[in-house]
Amino acid sequence: MEREYSRLTRKILLYFGLVVGAASAMFPFLWMTLSSFMTRGETIRRAFIPENIQLANYVEAWHEANFGLYFENSVIVAVIQVIGTLTLSLLAAYPLARMEFRGRDTIFAIILATLMIPETVTMVPNFLTVTWLHRNTPILWLNSWPSLTIPFLTSAFSIFLLRQFLRGIPNDLWEAARIDGAGHLRFLFRIVLPLCRPPLLTVGMFTFIGSWNSLAWPLLVTNSSEWRPISVGLQQFVSEAGAEIHLQMAGAVIATIPVLFVYFLIQKEFTEGISMSGLKG
Amino acid sequence: MRNILAGLLSCFLVFGCDERTPEFSEYEVVDLEIVDPTGQEIVYWYQHTREREKELQTMIAHFNQSNPYDISVKGEFAGSYKDIYNKMVVGIQTDVLPNITVAYQNQAVAYYRDGGIVDITPYMDSSKWGLKPDDRKDFVESFLSHDFINGVQIGFPPNRSIEVLYYNANWLQEIGFDHPPRTWDQFAALCSIAKDRPFSLNVNKKRSIGFLIEADASRLASMVFSRGGNLADIENKLYSFDSMEMRSSLVWLRKWIVDGSVELLSEKYADQAEFAAGQVLFMLGSSSGLPFVESAVRDGFDFEWNVTHLPHTTHSPKVNVYGASISLCKSSASKQLASWLFLKWLTEPEQQARWVRASNYFPVRRSTADRLTDYFKENPQYKSAYSLLEFGKSEPTISSYQQVRKKMQEIIVDVAYGGDVEQAVNNLQSYAEQLNY
Amino acid sequence: MNNRTKDNFIAWALLSPALVVLTAFGLFPILYAFYVSLHSWRIKRDAFIGFKHYLQAIGDPLNLLAFGVAVLGLFLIARFRRNLSSGSSILVKKWSFFLYIPAIWLLLAYGLLGLIETGDYRLYNGFRVTIFYALGTIPFQLSTALFLAYLLFNSLRGKGAFRILFFLPYVTPAIATAVVFRSIFSSHPLSFANGFLELLGLEGERWLSESHSIVTLALTRLGFSDLPLWLDTAFPSLALVSVIFYNIWVYVGYDIVILLAGLSAIPNHYFEAAKIDGANSWQLFRHVTLPLVSPTLFFLSMVAVIGTFKAFNHIYILKNPGAKDSVDVISVVIFEQIFEFHNAGYASAMAMVLFIAIIFLTFIQNRLLGKRVFYGT
Repeated sequence: MEREYSRLTRKILLYFGLVVGAASAMFPFLWMTLSSFMTRGETIRRAFIPENIQLANYVEAWHEANFGLYFENSVIVAVIQVIGTLTLSLLAAYPLARMEFRGRDTIFAIILATLMIPETVTMVPNFLTVTWLHRNTPILWLNSWPSLTIPFLTSAFSIFLLRQFLRGIPNDLWEAARIDGAGHLRFLFRIVLPLCRPPLLTVGMFTFIGSWNSLAWPLLVTNSSEWRPISVGLQQFVSEAGAEIHLQMAGAVIATIPVLFVYFLIQKEFTEGISMSGLKG
Repeated sequence: MRNILAGLLSCFLVFGCDERTPEFSEYEVVDLEIVDPTGQEIVYWYQHTREREKELQTMIAHFNQSNPYDISVKGEFAGSYKDIYNKMVVGIQTDVLPNITVAYQNQAVAYYRDGGIVDITPYMDSSKWGLKPDDRKDFVESFLSHDFINGVQIGFPPNRSIEVLYYNANWLQEIGFDHPPRTWDQFAALCSIAKDRPFSLNVNKKRSIGFLIEADASRLASMVFSRGGNLADIENKLYSFDSMEMRSSLVWLRKWIVDGSVELLSEKYADQAEFAAGQVLFMLGSSSGLPFVESAVRDGFDFEWNVTHLPHTTHSPKVNVYGASISLCKSSASKQLASWLFLKWLTEPEQQARWVRASNYFPVRRSTADRLTDYFKENPQYKSAYSLLEFGKSEPTISSYQQVRKKMQEIIVDVAYGGDVEQAVNNLQSYAEQLNY
Repeated sequence: MNNRTKDNFIAWALLSPALVVLTAFGLFPILYAFYVSLHSWRIKRDAFIGFKHYLQAIGDPLNLLAFGVAVLGLFLIARFRRNLSSGSSILVKKWSFFLYIPAIWLLLAYGLLGLIETGDYRLYNGFRVTIFYALGTIPFQLSTALFLAYLLFNSLRGKGAFRILFFLPYVTPAIATAVVFRSIFSSHPLSFANGFLELLGLEGERWLSESHSIVTLALTRLGFSDLPLWLDTAFPSLALVSVIFYNIWVYVGYDIVILLAGLSAIPNHYFEAAKIDGANSWQLFRHVTLPLVSPTLFFLSMVAVIGTFKAFNHIYILKNPGAKDSVDVISVVIFEQIFEFHNAGYASAMAMVLFIAIIFLTFIQNRLLGKRVFYGT
């Protein structure tokens, strides 16, 4: 009886904590959505609730920020980056995690090192590289999708994350496969790949988000709206004298929905641990 | 001979058609009078968005159709000022440059130093292509000189903004005044009264103050100017922060912040919000904020308000004038000339009037006012601000000034929160002095 | 081809596509930045000046040497004391402790203080702020995330909704979240934070506009006045604490997602076996979950350290004149060198110093924590 009582209080406290946490997490998003329904004057005056719901804001934001075209561009670029990153990073993480070869740890250290420099400093040399490629290869880089995707076809972050996961795969699995006559490649594609869903989905999602929100680089490598992403569209509503928050927030809501949708789709994967059939405990 | 010509022609075609290779030749000193701008294609990078961008694009289309040299301009949105700076930096290194670009003075100086942009003076002075004497006089001289640094015209102003004092006219009337303050003491007194007598429409009577000021170098500059002071002695390239006017500005600020009737702004654009909510009687800000304040007040309590100059001890009022200009990038002589012609066209009164209507900026030519009578009627606050253009004064055009601005911001904060004014002024002066020009 | 060579070949073949991309767009920028840092370089390359920028940033090499010698000395003393066999007298053990004192004195007085005086104050302040920032965010972020992730992983009602809600801060564009937090932590008397203080019967604070340290403010409230300036340097400012709050809030959701991925990769039978053996929830967590999720935790802590030292956007967006330089982490200092001082050469030198610092930290972190990570059976 007493044990149940303390269990109940624990549960209540837990839920209370979670609700408070969730409420604070949600609050800015709520404010953002409310602002997207206000008039310009209301947002400047910092009104809390709009008097009338200005759905027109969404229509206006969509047109003003050229969302139709930019949306399409963002999707294409994001998809390419995600597919590229998942492939290249998994391929790279496997040998780093599960194979012995010369220079393994050095290469991993160098890969990690590429994470350790701020973007402000890497943008200029990357632009120089892209311009050189533009001038010396038959591919159109500037103002087109290659410059928006190819530099990001992999990242040290995703390689690192996948490597950690792959290292955690029990050796018994590998031994069993070896006994069955499989080499590394077969092990990777037949056994490891299916196991990788959670981390692959995570990497995919973060790559998607990173691609979706990137602003500085697309502005640098594009000159016309042809290949510009949504983030550039959102910039339309900021000027040095004031911000048109009502449109900016409408745009931000439009831009955030796809990301949330993707997350919603994949978060179901992260429920229980995986069940590995065919392996005796 | 024919073979050579054919060879040259094919080279020209190959390199001319390939849009990826740099199109310009080395800039030689060429007699402007004989350069031919016909048929040139110009790229213009700007930061404008929405209505301003639309209007700009319409104007560009108009220019492309109507100019007698068949010059075609392509306008591109290139991001914010910071993004444009980034693009210019990499552009200067890779020769991926536009022909004209928007730039703040300190950015333009940096571009010029590394050979990215050219001096506009020869174009302004050219007998064939330049500004006629009457036109030249029509320009507000201080606007042009704002972009004249170290003997080089690094930019050409298409428009300007001025720093004005926004005030709540209804609230002033409630306190018993029918005009904005004429002296700094009056100003302080009004702020103090405002603290104790909230605006009738203010729903949050506990929150009522006289003046909300941003900790920004331009605001401090305005205060110093209004007392007759200068920030620098341009001719001798010396900073003069160590002045009586600077001291009295800071002392005034500190006194009334301690009193509680003046506050430092803590959140960007919060002054617009609080002004519109009737919680703040005065605010000091750029005229480009007019449309924002206007919609905030109109959608809110819709009280009467206007803009004016700060109280002044000088003979006539003084307002701080600023804004970004357009710089001319280095390329072939013909392209540069074509770019200049477009710039010149942009600053003609007819275009200026059009631009004013769309952007709410201020024109750089006086005669524009003749075309704006109806606009003035519809926008009384704009008209009030416009009448102040003659009294414009700019912050120093010394290239290190950008760094000094940051220090000025620091000492405003220091002094506001109780620091010693004498020490602050000395810090500022010695900091400024040890920078290179 | 024997197995070894075959393995080598396969390994490099698998690595090569990623390596090509990373070399061109990850490694080359670092080498380029180093090249830039050796020149006087505003927008275009000027003269070659060697390590002048570094001297300007770090300070007198003698002080740097003193610093390095002192650090090495500390390591050696620690090693010496550890190696003292149990046979040595207690006296030796006790007195050898005092060996630390001259080393620390050398480190601080001649090393660090000398460097700060001769080097660039902005760089060292940047490091100071960054360290405060890292110490303030990482532990809280990770522990909260681990707790919440564990809860969300186990049976809980409505966990789908909670998972989305907790992730919202990371996903909502920074422009939106920053505006809200600027409002919450505004010095306005009616801001949320000040309202909270009022509820407790306290006077308001300036939050994001406050450059004094939290210790100074606390002591002021307790009645002390004329507090020494070093208190403002030795502790984070209130503005920085507000920024830290913001960042914890943003990144907890991000950490939760990664932890959930790690947790869900644990084979079920481990949990089942432990439960069958009669483990209660704490034992389950401590002896099964924690070790099996440690690779992910290790990853997160590494990424967090690298990330906080590199951090820029979510800090710059809350920067306020009132805070003066108390929120200027290194990335902000570098950014200002490029965009306000137009000095790419110097900025690159500082970026290189940051790079070395991060390498060093990662190396130490790997040493300390790497051994505790449990990789599979």
